[in-house]
Amino acid sequence: MSDPGSTELAAAIPVPLPGAGGAEPVNVLVVGVGGQGVIMVSKLIALLAQQQGYEVKQSEVHGMAKRGGAVFSHVRFGKLVWSPTIPKGEADFLVALEWAEGLRWLDYLRPGTGVFICDTKQIVPPFSCRDRRPGAALGYVRETVSDVIARVGEGYAIDATHMAEQLGNDRVGNVVLLGALSAALNFPAAQWEKIVADFVPKKTTAVNLEALRQGRRWIEEARKGLQHPASVPPPPSPTVADYRVRLEITPQWCKSCDICVKMCPERCLRLNAERIVELAAPDKCTGCRLCEWLCPDFAIRVHLDRTMAGAGMEAAR
Amino acid sequence: MLIDQAAEFDVRDYLRKEMMPHFLCPGCGHGIALRALLWALHDLGIDKDRLAVVSGIGCAGRLSAYIDANTFHVTHGRPLAYATGLALARPDLHVVVITGDGDCLAIGGNHLIHACRRNLKLTCLMLNNEVYGMTGGQVSPTTPEMLLTTTTPHGNTEPHFDACALAAAAGAGFVGREVTLNVPKLKELIRAGLMHPGFAFLEVMSDCTEIFGRKNDLGSSPEMMMRQKSELRPTAYRDTVDMPFRPNHLPTGILAKNDRPEYGASYRAAAAKEARR
Repeated sequence: MSDPGSTELAAAIPVPLPGAGGAEPVNVLVVGVGGQGVIMVSKLIALLAQQQGYEVKQSEVHGMAKRGGAVFSHVRFGKLVWSPTIPKGEADFLVALEWAEGLRWLDYLRPGTGVFICDTKQIVPPFSCRDRRPGAALGYVRETVSDVIARVGEGYAIDATHMAEQLGNDRVGNVVLLGALSAALNFPAAQWEKIVADFVPKKTTAVNLEALRQGRRWIEEARKGLQHPASVPPPPSPTVADYRVRLEITPQWCKSCDICVKMCPERCLRLNAERIVELAAPDKCTGCRLCEWLCPDFAIRVHLDRTMAGAGMEAAR
Repeated sequence: MLIDQAAEFDVRDYLRKEMMPHFLCPGCGHGIALRALLWALHDLGIDKDRLAVVSGIGCAGRLSAYIDANTFHVTHGRPLAYATGLALARPDLHVVVITGDGDCLAIGGNHLIHACRRNLKLTCLMLNNEVYGMTGGQVSPTTPEMLLTTTTPHGNTEPHFDACALAAAAGAGFVGREVTLNVPKLKELIRAGLMHPGFAFLEVMSDCTEIFGRKNDLGSSPEMMMRQKSELRPTAYRDTVDMPFRPNHLPTGILAKNDRPEYGASYRAAAAKEARR
């Protein structure tokens, strides 16, 4: 798999078609972040497969949906499906609504023949911030599109969120990806449109259908070599913090109420012998201003002094 | 690289420094609420000369003395009455009322409902510390049931007021509540209230550490503030069906908003009509 381009691979490797193989079910894994519409996409696939006369099993994890957590949904359909979950390395299609979530589930894709359809949208999770100091390195994925597409049988990186924004409703990004998947699954296009129109809220039918068509067209053009995979902007590179934190404390105003000491997330303040607040660990302070905001006596003022390195970076930018 | 809007705001620019340090007890949440108010005024770019702060009697009423603007420290319970006159006579001023729970709901309860009814452009900031702090910790209309005060040594038996529900029912154009712990959110709420073209009633849950907290063994001020956090229920979670772990909830955020006609404008229109006749 030395060639990073998707087009030649698409022509070389046959896409597994529902019902063509026989006994083995077709496995579709839909992954993303809470709120993007993972469950909705998997429901549409399951409904359509059911209407086409297949046995369908679907299972999902969605508990973290409200908090922007990871959501995934397994859809399996075929003549006979026994288990509702897809074993590792046996997903025929992986539809990812977020870039890092797609990479997280890449091992589930069938080596060689699996089709990877991924939005290039990046939602950086809180836990990839390993250090609360501003300018600290992010633990977000660093793979580029060509790195990833080289690892899979057939890969497409679509900027579906951007396409959805162009359509005027950024929430239809999942339907763009569904359209892309519809080009790979050989159900009739009219059936896809019918099920989308039946399922989505009436007010958004037109924009959803347009999103479906655009996604489908994008893949068809990509297979002909007209479209190139969208590029993923490189994740923010580690930079030095371009300022130094300085606390200005007015000792005459401090009433030793202890709020700043107890509320500081980095625990870097303390009361001195006279019970006046002081910065005990200046290197730990991130300049979050919580102490300044919560001081009822206005005794703390946080200054973020620009350092020489920061000034230089600003000039370079 | 770093977008630090908070850096522009220095609260000391808005204080009468010769009056500092203020008289509030250590750990009193009123100081935090005062910062949020001044921050919101700074955010909106309101000129200090165009700002009039009216306040009544009590710990909260005392705050106007520390603001470097046109301030008016008036009789107990009547800041809304004075502010109504001021706002009608000088519609070019931003009139902000700072009042406490006793000042606003007990002594001034009558003025509150009529200010809400008229919907004059005013911003009423009620700092609710659930007790009469300045006079020694007597029971107030917002003291929760069962809690101790100097006048209820065996626990309060009266039900307490929900000030926001009262203001909304009386017809206030904008009703909101926030706790002092969320300073940026509190600032945003006050900012929204200041921008509302009618009567804005804002309740700030504050902590009275020295009197109320000590009497009821609620811990030091950080503990009292964290208790508020554990009880609050922001707008985003209020309408959820599953609320298994929040038996005692305190709704925060914007609780009511309507576009009833503003009284000052209709009053001036009526006066102009009368003058033409």
